[in-house]
Amino acid sequence: MNGFNAFTAVMYRQLKRWWNARSRVLMTVLNPLIWMVFLGLGWGSIFNPQNTPMVPGLPSIPGVIDAFKNAIDNYFKQLFGGVSYIAFMVSGIVVMTAFMGSFISGISVIWDKQFGFLKETLVAPAPRGLIILGRIIGDSIVTTLQSLIIVLLSQVLTNEVNVLNTPFAVLYVFVMSIGFTSLGTVLSLKFSSMEGFQMVVNLLTMPLVFMSGVFYPVTTMPDWMNMIAKVNPLTYSVHAVRYWLTGSNTGFEYMNSTTDLLILSSFTVVMIALAVKVFEKTTLED
Amino acid sequence: MSEVVVVENLVKKFSDVTAVNGVSFNIKRNEVFALLGPNGAGKTTTIHIIATLLKPTSGRVLVAGFDAARKPEEVRKRIGIVFQDPSLDNQLTGYDNMYIHGKLYGLKGAGLHEKIMRLLDLVDLKEFAFKKVMHYSGGMRRRLEIARSLLHEPEILILDEPTIGLDPQSRARIWDYIKYLKKEHDMTILMTTHYMDEAEELADRIAIMDKGRILAMGSAEELKSMLGQDVVYVAIKNNQDNNNPCSVFNFVKECKELRSGRLELIVSNATKILPEVFNAAELAGLKISEISYRRPTLNEVFLHLTGRELRDSLENQPVLSRRPVRWAR
Repeated sequence: MNGFNAFTAVMYRQLKRWWNARSRVLMTVLNPLIWMVFLGLGWGSIFNPQNTPMVPGLPSIPGVIDAFKNAIDNYFKQLFGGVSYIAFMVSGIVVMTAFMGSFISGISVIWDKQFGFLKETLVAPAPRGLIILGRIIGDSIVTTLQSLIIVLLSQVLTNEVNVLNTPFAVLYVFVMSIGFTSLGTVLSLKFSSMEGFQMVVNLLTMPLVFMSGVFYPVTTMPDWMNMIAKVNPLTYSVHAVRYWLTGSNTGFEYMNSTTDLLILSSFTVVMIALAVKVFEKTTLED
Repeated sequence: MSEVVVVENLVKKFSDVTAVNGVSFNIKRNEVFALLGPNGAGKTTTIHIIATLLKPTSGRVLVAGFDAARKPEEVRKRIGIVFQDPSLDNQLTGYDNMYIHGKLYGLKGAGLHEKIMRLLDLVDLKEFAFKKVMHYSGGMRRRLEIARSLLHEPEILILDEPTIGLDPQSRARIWDYIKYLKKEHDMTILMTTHYMDEAEELADRIAIMDKGRILAMGSAEELKSMLGQDVVYVAIKNNQDNNNPCSVFNFVKECKELRSGRLELIVSNATKILPEVFNAAELAGLKISEISYRRPTLNEVFLHLTGRELRDSLENQPVLSRRPVRWAR
């Protein structure tokens, strides 16, 4: 049981670090909050027309104008899976928060390298695999908690988010977080400098977010984006979380909550295996 | 088995440089063994190989009978290490740093708590146990690291430059702990240092390292007597009636008249020869106005072995030393 002890030790450390820096929790939800408020409310009113544009030549008969307004309204509703844009986007932001958080938690491995704590874990006699797993799970718990905060905040902006289904949504967020934390860990173990790592993070995260259906449906994307979206694990967690939180079902025809979970779990298992393998081989090579 | 650490013909090559080039030594139980040498001599690389953090290019390292390259987990269980660079989590308290270390080494519960408090007490950090490490001073961090490395009761304690960058008080304190651990806990200690006084004060045996090789090994006394000679300086008052004062001291190895009538006598053991010097001078009617002798220090030994002063090599650091540690898998 020595290994399990080490697992909980490292997990405890990640949670304790987060708890000790809880004033910074505000910072971690501030960024998604800005997206939610400004993009959500800003675009939301465009996709939900209050008045119809006057088209020259169109007779201004009240019935026609209403029909016109309804047609536009329905078109967008259908695009967003039967919910308003703000509900559509907010449910995506929940996933984006966890995704960004988990990917960036890989940075803490680089910090540990720089501040030396990594050496402390490298000389420990416990199995390396369990040490890195404890760290990944600890970080994933933290990022999942952050996305939970976003679910709660979303209540202020829309009433279309069903908080009762949160436990289901959280399952997907947690599985995805483990996958991306592992990926971040692998990258930061491979990169020797903070600068190189930051660059990769920036080059990867935003495009992945844009090609996952957080801000617009994957189905209306150009074909090449569409293809990337299909291999982007984030797409499946966005779809599933959106489905559980709002009931909106916007995705490729083969996507449902079961296939989403299967695809996400496979991704996560592969990433964990990779992280364990890389960490087991880590030395202090100059 | 009295040999706790056996290092045989250790070689470590990095892509562009050979950091350790055929190093061999043994460390006996309850011995303090110091690797002394300038930065870039290969001391830290040697220690990292012993601590299973680097794989040797060739050669063998046994710790308590286990091969460091083949059975790293067995070795890790038996060593406690304080790295040259800090390895604490600054955002956690001293207590939490200890607690996590204890759990990593399989300790738990009330026993762990009790041990943490006892060790924090030993290094006088009990009252700061629940302060975050980021508020600790350099000396406090070092002491915490030493306490941490003792938590799992290692068979051998490895200290890499334990007092580097510390003020004299903190240094003296760390020296006291090291002496205490050797004396009261029969601890086997392997340390590196580039301070001659530190090696001399603490170590039972010293290996002088330079450019990846061990140049000489032995106790401080043995190393110094390698030069075989003490130097006695004698100033004589009434020298004018004796043209060759050296003839009086025909029992020394070498005698040279320096400017201002001072004599430099090279002897094998100054403490024993001083009375004879006085006797001979009195018999010859010479009046000694001043006498002093100098024992060779480790610096002279290093100078003798490498042709340069240890102090000099500290100031003109070789290329290897200040390069930041790069990481790969």
